[in-house]
Amino acid sequence: MDSFFNTIFNGLSSSSIILLTSLGLAVTFGQMRIINMAHSEFVMIGAYMTYLTQNLFRAISPESVFSLYYIFALPVAFIATFLLGSLMEWLVVSRLYGREIDSLLATSGISLILQQAARHIFGAQGVNVTTPSFLSGGITIGGCTFSYNRLFIILLVGLVLFGMWFLINRSSFGKQMRAVMQNRPMAKCVGINSRKIDNITFSVGSGLAGLAGCSVALLGSIDASVGQSYIVDSFMAVVLGGVGKLLGTVLGSSVIGFSGITFERFTSSSIAKALVLLIIILFLQKRPQGLFTVRSRSLDE
Amino acid sequence: MNFFKQIKKQSNHITFGIIVLALAAVPLLLLNGSVESPMVSFLGKAMSFCMVAIALDLIWGYTGILSLGHGLYFALGGYGMAMFLKLQATQGAITDFMHTGGLTELPYIWKPFQSLALTLLLLVAVPALLSFLIGHFIFKNRVKGVYFSIISQALTWAAYSVFIALSPYTNGNIGITEINSLIGKTKGPANQDNLIVLFYAALVILILIYSLATFLVKTKFGKLLIAIRDGENRTYFSGYRVSRFKTVIYVISAGIAAIAGAVFVNFNGSISPSQMTIAFSINMVIWVAIGGRGTIVGAVIGALVVSLCEYNLSSGNMVEYWQYIVGGVFCLAILFFKGGIVGLFKEQIPALIKRLKGAEKSGNGSFEQSSL
Repeated sequence: MDSFFNTIFNGLSSSSIILLTSLGLAVTFGQMRIINMAHSEFVMIGAYMTYLTQNLFRAISPESVFSLYYIFALPVAFIATFLLGSLMEWLVVSRLYGREIDSLLATSGISLILQQAARHIFGAQGVNVTTPSFLSGGITIGGCTFSYNRLFIILLVGLVLFGMWFLINRSSFGKQMRAVMQNRPMAKCVGINSRKIDNITFSVGSGLAGLAGCSVALLGSIDASVGQSYIVDSFMAVVLGGVGKLLGTVLGSSVIGFSGITFERFTSSSIAKALVLLIIILFLQKRPQGLFTVRSRSLDE
Repeated sequence: MNFFKQIKKQSNHITFGIIVLALAAVPLLLLNGSVESPMVSFLGKAMSFCMVAIALDLIWGYTGILSLGHGLYFALGGYGMAMFLKLQATQGAITDFMHTGGLTELPYIWKPFQSLALTLLLLVAVPALLSFLIGHFIFKNRVKGVYFSIISQALTWAAYSVFIALSPYTNGNIGITEINSLIGKTKGPANQDNLIVLFYAALVILILIYSLATFLVKTKFGKLLIAIRDGENRTYFSGYRVSRFKTVIYVISAGIAAIAGAVFVNFNGSISPSQMTIAFSINMVIWVAIGGRGTIVGAVIGALVVSLCEYNLSSGNMVEYWQYIVGGVFCLAILFFKGGIVGLFKEQIPALIKRLKGAEKSGNGSFEQSSL
């Protein structure tokens, strides 16, 4: 029974990390049809921002409030990646709407540049973040331990998810965004500034990657390629869930997270991951559109 | 005038001919002493890159299927060749890493690689079969565009982790190392002759693959590939089974990539899972994009130019800037120069000359309209 709860908790925590990294993709890929290969680098930048905030706090703040650095790191990472995403949209991505494959290629060029920049600035060696005191340790219930930082990530995902749902479905910005993504010329006709909406939407997607970076920083050492290990899972989560549906992404990442943890009980973790990917690819043969589909009568969807 | 038109028409083949002649001259320079042998074996590797770039150009440039996982086939071909060469060195006994991994005799999957004929057959047949299975199911279900790219990326990643996990069979992260080429040692001045023979053999293979690719794209089959790229649904509606054509070209492309991998191993002396990564597969896409997609010679030029630049820059203090340059150039090529280097010479520069001429004319005060 204990191991059952452990599996549930591990699965939940693994899914929540995949979800956090794929939510940003769900926005850029799902809404805007931009395949942002530099997404993993935004995750990496978010992680490094956490590291920098920690160093700043270590230098200037008294010991007693040092742990609070993590609270400040979240907005810092979000804003830094938001601004960088905005810049990237303005320079590169804005020229690529409607050219999915080209957007994939151009952003993978940017991803190379960003990786090298990180290696230049922070060195090739990985760096570590001190887990803030209020997140170290865990609670033990009936023989299984729930570590605080994993619980925190689950909580963070819940908050971000609610925020996203509110932004897309309940705010006036979200309404404009959906209008632009569904029918750009018509949205322009009714007076929506589509350039601005595009820019903000892409920046929000990038900012979410930055937030994901904050949680990735808690889990292990940070180096220039830290984001790469999440990117394949995130893309598969978005595709599996069905492009364009937030709920689909949630379900997609849960499937990947839970099945990975379940297989890991029988075999090594890398084989488990490979198995999960193969099963998803087989599933996509049955339903190429993913779990949830946006209904459309267009031929080339 | 007719003569010039003929040259213009054949300019791709002429360019390839010049490249071949330049490459053929390299071993002579080695004998002469003006080129070092590491440079020659590097150029041998670069030729294998040209081959895999041609393979990628066939499916991406001509058919519009962007694979982010061609490293998988390249590495499979490479591993097949490398295992044969390793078993030659141990005379068919089990290798060190298998011994460390706890195996007591040669595993069944590597048994056929004791004979050269079977190796040569399998190193193409295995990737071809795998690509057939992948292509058949994925294309039949009309998974296309970026979805195919993402799935091919995931497949390659899965294969990569399996290769690392099965370390008693594949030596995990390290791969198969310390092997000689098919005709013996190539390193050092004493083995110069071997290197030269190997180099010319690779050049012949490159010419054969180039001829095959240019022949393929000229046939009706090739025209259909272009039709699929430019209007997949229209081709369906015209009564062609698009998925079959896609599968066939995908299998051909995977086979060429595997041959390229086998050539690569002979020059490199080792193969590791890093040839199977997504990053290496994206490198291949970069070669084709910079050289110019949709022209076979463009793939060759791109692979040669990019890897030559990398080779020269990575020795000096520019090594840190290399990734900036290649990332930036790649990004610019996608954004502004879809035709790559070939397109630059065929479209952009003539257009620029035309515009300059037009500007000259209007500067003289004539109101003649420049042709649009």
